Amino acid sequence: MFTIVKNEMIAEDIYTLSLKNAPAGNAGQFFMLRVPGSADPFLGRPLSIFDYDEDRKIVSFLYQAKGPGTQLLASLMPGQKIELQGPYGNGFPMPDGSVTLIGGGIGIAPLHYLTKQLRRAKPTRHISVYLGFREEGYMVDSFKLYCDELHVDIGGQITANVGFSLGDTYFTCGPEPMMMAAAKAARKHRAKLYVSLESHMACGVGACLGCTCKTTQGANRRVCKDGPVFLAEEVYNV
Amino acid sequence: MSEKLLTTILGVELKNPVIAASGTFGFGREYSELIDVSRLGGISSKGLTLKGSLGNSGRRLLETPAGMLNSIGLENPGVDTFVRDEAPYMRELGPVVIANLGGHSEQDYVEGAKMLNHADIDILELNISCPNVKEGGMAFGLIPESAAKITKLVKENSRHPLLVKLSPNVTSIVEVALACEEAGANGISLVNTFLGMAIDVEKKEAVFENVYAGLSGPAIRPIALRMVHEVKKHVKIDVVGMGGIMNTIDALAFLMAGASAVQVGSATFANPETMLKIIDGLEEYCQLHNLNNISEICGII
Repeated sequence: MFTIVKNEMIAEDIYTLSLKNAPAGNAGQFFMLRVPGSADPFLGRPLSIFDYDEDRKIVSFLYQAKGPGTQLLASLMPGQKIELQGPYGNGFPMPDGSVTLIGGGIGIAPLHYLTKQLRRAKPTRHISVYLGFREEGYMVDSFKLYCDELHVDIGGQITANVGFSLGDTYFTCGPEPMMMAAAKAARKHRAKLYVSLESHMACGVGACLGCTCKTTQGANRRVCKDGPVFLAEEVYNV
Repeated sequence: MSEKLLTTILGVELKNPVIAASGTFGFGREYSELIDVSRLGGISSKGLTLKGSLGNSGRRLLETPAGMLNSIGLENPGVDTFVRDEAPYMRELGPVVIANLGGHSEQDYVEGAKMLNHADIDILELNISCPNVKEGGMAFGLIPESAAKITKLVKENSRHPLLVKLSPNVTSIVEVALACEEAGANGISLVNTFLGMAIDVEKKEAVFENVYAGLSGPAIRPIALRMVHEVKKHVKIDVVGMGGIMNTIDALAFLMAGASAVQVGSATFANPETMLKIIDGLEEYCQLHNLNNISEICGII
């Protein structure tokens, strides 16, 4: 059980939740969060790591209160305890060269911690971040600390602004049409793109087989265990 | 751990009466990274089909009030791969090894059962109750005659004790259970998921490609408990109970209703430690209630 130190609304239906004394994970990995003893809903909610403070061992999540599960999470107060399982999933790879991160809406969550880890792994590299939102932006400023370029777009198509080039590494997380548009552009320019998928999952550890996706080769992959990060060409036929 | 939880079902001894339910624990690989799997009484494998399957396409899960609908569709590597790779792995984990076998035809079941004669398993769980595969398991489990026929065929072709897993989607589960008992089943496990449905009203279409899906979780528990009670009142063979068990109290209720052991499924998804906590809780209950063995409370209601 882990104690909530912060659970605040920062934009419409968008919350940040922080827990203390939490285990560390890598960018792109996620935890299952569950209200102790809850029967409705009784499953945990998979939330990717938004940030981790190594000194204070505080893990932070960014989530949208959308259905009954996340709405229940949103009702919790600092001091209350929560069940935390994980970290689960493969996480993002850490390449050497220049990187570009493309996030859409609540999909910016795993990219935030990724930006931080990429900067730390290699302080001199060039990091470009593109963030797209439908109506209002959030958490934009906290990306500024770790990147060289930051582009924000409200109401448009963020991927249209991104220049893809061979040799750089690209990462994306957001709505499916956005990620597919990025995959298409990356393929055209033969750029390496990693996508972080979202799926409905029950266990988060690869046992229930509820979150499988199909690869372009027709095989099944578990989003929770084999992913959630995949090479775009492995899962998107564009 | 004392001997208070030692349990015998179908002539097989288990460390305790807590078994991981089929389809919720894979072959034990994933959860063995997270919990001490060796403490479990048994593990029932992911539902196997003769040739294996990629499972259903489209959405596979939906959480519902106190439950979940699934339409996985028996994604599995096939009996062959199980016998070669998974059964030996499960044996090394320690708990009693149960192979869960589904099928699309009588011939599938018989061939699958014959192949499993080469596997080092303790119990064969016959799945005639999976609701998520067309012409699949459940068709055989809906009427007593066909349930009896498939039970008899598999029993004749298997060297393993036979546990038949029943569907709750029937008019009289007692009649199906009795038919299986008469056909040679050594035990009955119940219940598989309840057939349910969900509709996306914005898209104006069913959530699942198969339209119907299987409901599990605490939502089904009172009905499952009643069915275990009814069945055990009529059959002499062992009954393994399941359906929405979340904690020790739930497990005790199923044992008192007539189950000799319980299976835990969806609750493991919610918290991987659920079964270990139940085992500890049962041990504690035995101490507090001065039981020499947990079986003393089985079927007391």
